[in-house]
Amino acid sequence: MKDPKELKPDTLSLHAGQRPDPTTGARATPIYQTSSFVFDNSEIAAGIFNIERTGHVYSRITNPTNSVLEERISALEGGIGAIATSSGQAAMHLAISTIMDSGSHIIASNCLYGGSHNLLEYTFPRFGIDTTFIDFRDVDLVKKSFKENTRLVFGETLGNPGLDVMDIETISSISHDNGIPLLVDSTFTTPHLMRPFDLGADLIFHSATKFLSGHGVVIGGLLVDSGNFDWDKSGKYPQLTEPYEGFHNMIFTQEFGPAAFISRARKEGARDFGACMSPHTAFLVLQGIETLGLRMDRHVETTLKIVDYLNNHDLVEKVIYPTLPSHPDHMLASKLLVKGCGAVFTFELKGGREAGKAFIENLSIFSHLANVGDAKSLVIQPASTTHHRMDADSLKKAGISEGTIRLSVGLEDYEDLINDLELGLRAAKKISQ
Amino acid sequence: MSSTFCFFGPEGLKSTEHPIVFIHGTGMDHTVWTMPIRYFLRKKRNVLGIDLPGHGRSKGKLLKTIPAMAEWLINYLDDLKVKEFSLVGHSMGSLIALETAALAQKRANNLVLVGTAFPMAVSDVLLAYAKDNKPEAIEILTFMGYSNQARLGRNTNPGIWMTGSTKKLLEKSGKGVIYQDLKACAEYGSGLESAKKVSANTLLILGKKDFLTPPFKAKDLIKSFNNPEVKEIADSGHTLMIESPNTVLDYLIEVL
Repeated sequence: MKDPKELKPDTLSLHAGQRPDPTTGARATPIYQTSSFVFDNSEIAAGIFNIERTGHVYSRITNPTNSVLEERISALEGGIGAIATSSGQAAMHLAISTIMDSGSHIIASNCLYGGSHNLLEYTFPRFGIDTTFIDFRDVDLVKKSFKENTRLVFGETLGNPGLDVMDIETISSISHDNGIPLLVDSTFTTPHLMRPFDLGADLIFHSATKFLSGHGVVIGGLLVDSGNFDWDKSGKYPQLTEPYEGFHNMIFTQEFGPAAFISRARKEGARDFGACMSPHTAFLVLQGIETLGLRMDRHVETTLKIVDYLNNHDLVEKVIYPTLPSHPDHMLASKLLVKGCGAVFTFELKGGREAGKAFIENLSIFSHLANVGDAKSLVIQPASTTHHRMDADSLKKAGISEGTIRLSVGLEDYEDLINDLELGLRAAKKISQ
Repeated sequence: MSSTFCFFGPEGLKSTEHPIVFIHGTGMDHTVWTMPIRYFLRKKRNVLGIDLPGHGRSKGKLLKTIPAMAEWLINYLDDLKVKEFSLVGHSMGSLIALETAALAQKRANNLVLVGTAFPMAVSDVLLAYAKDNKPEAIEILTFMGYSNQARLGRNTNPGIWMTGSTKKLLEKSGKGVIYQDLKACAEYGSGLESAKKVSANTLLILGKKDFLTPPFKAKDLIKSFNNPEVKEIADSGHTLMIESPNTVLDYLIEVL
């Protein structure tokens, strides 16, 4: 018997989930731009609705283009299945709403993307779901934060914007000791730089808007299930282990085994909340993923050069990037992120808010906008934009000051990028003098 | 038998009249049969989705031979007061179904063997990995369990990565389960004699791209049955219910 030759990530990025179209021979994934799908007959229709046959019904729930993307991200992450959603926020909402009810509690890292923070801090409490935000580096605090009603632990592989590296092995171990799954936002790292399931995470979501699609042309999200978490053993998730009236008293763990979570997320969440991805968006994300490995390596390579440049610049107070020994998670990053720490980072500019303003307004290649993970380089000042709703104390905890600048390094020639940054820094220097 | 889990459907077992008994393969459980089970439940048929002892949700000691598994199954059906039944088995489950149909000739009306062969040879390398509970055993079974094309995906079941889900199901099996199952398959020696005893209507569903039980390895078995029906699915590997679920269901509907 031959040893199995599992396909490598660069091959999966191009092929997973797709075969040439059997009808037309199209090699690329076709865009099935249709809301619904014709049934061969009434019996087949009943069968697909009853999950006794496979097939597509309505693009809010499944679509053949989206399915290719869902399989592809599952393959790359080492998961069992995925759901494409209308945005990363929708993927996060789908994960939480699938396993949490009013009266339940989340433990979250205090270093989150502003949008995620908003959802947990302000919006979910209206629906009876509360969150405790803590520093995941404080392991004892993590252990002490579990309550009777805790149902989820959530953090980012690289916290936003301070690039706090999440010790997934430790946090997942604590979560599992409490019978709780770990949800991870893996947007900044992508499966090319880190596979959180290999470290113990149970669920992953991505904003596919960022590096996965990679060109700043779509809004989309992906929720991926590892199939690892034992919902029955935990006993805390009646959504998956008790009859669901919304689907003929189906017990998801009984009928789908390891795929219980992702099945309920689709049967209920995709059906009822309806935050689906457009097939055209799925196509564009697939196009991006085809070159994910190549792009991420280049993103990281250029980022290292820019980090080095800024770290040695007189006008820069400090650069926050995990490859630097000054970063509090430097050692952890060297263990978990051997291919690099991504292409988004922050630095502190001398001269505060006004210097930052002058710096940004004098850049011409870096675009001033609220996004990351584009092929084009981007810049923003978090305190006045992405994190503007956070009070001073929260900002400080998240490692953000008025002079913090966030860069998302693109694929341009690095010398051009450094020349552009130099122009911005000269302008900032005039302000600070 | 109280330690046995059997999926009867959301409403439980309503009647023991002529149930269809679904038997899973090595290291797996009843969930591999969820889709056909749901069909037959909708058609008001009685269905038993068995988790063999030590598999899935069933407790109890692993059974070491195919005949022992068949005897256990007949005892289980006796406990439920089941008289006549139909059997559907995949891979190792197909051997259990075959042996059960031979032991309970007058009670087994239909026999469906999915992804089957006799002898069901298992390589020494695979057995050695399984004996040591090494992950390579699961990797080989997953890899060989699918056709070359299916390893790239394009699942007809939207959004589910086929090899990933099979691997995960195998990983959830307890220590020693895969080894014991593979050993039972490899050591089963009475398949041809048992096939000659079977009086049930017999259907074999085979995958032309099956690496674990390729159709040519079922030829002797086919010859031993009395007038069996054989269906080959052109594009499928060994895990036919996952790779070609709708075709498998159509064939099951024809005979059951």
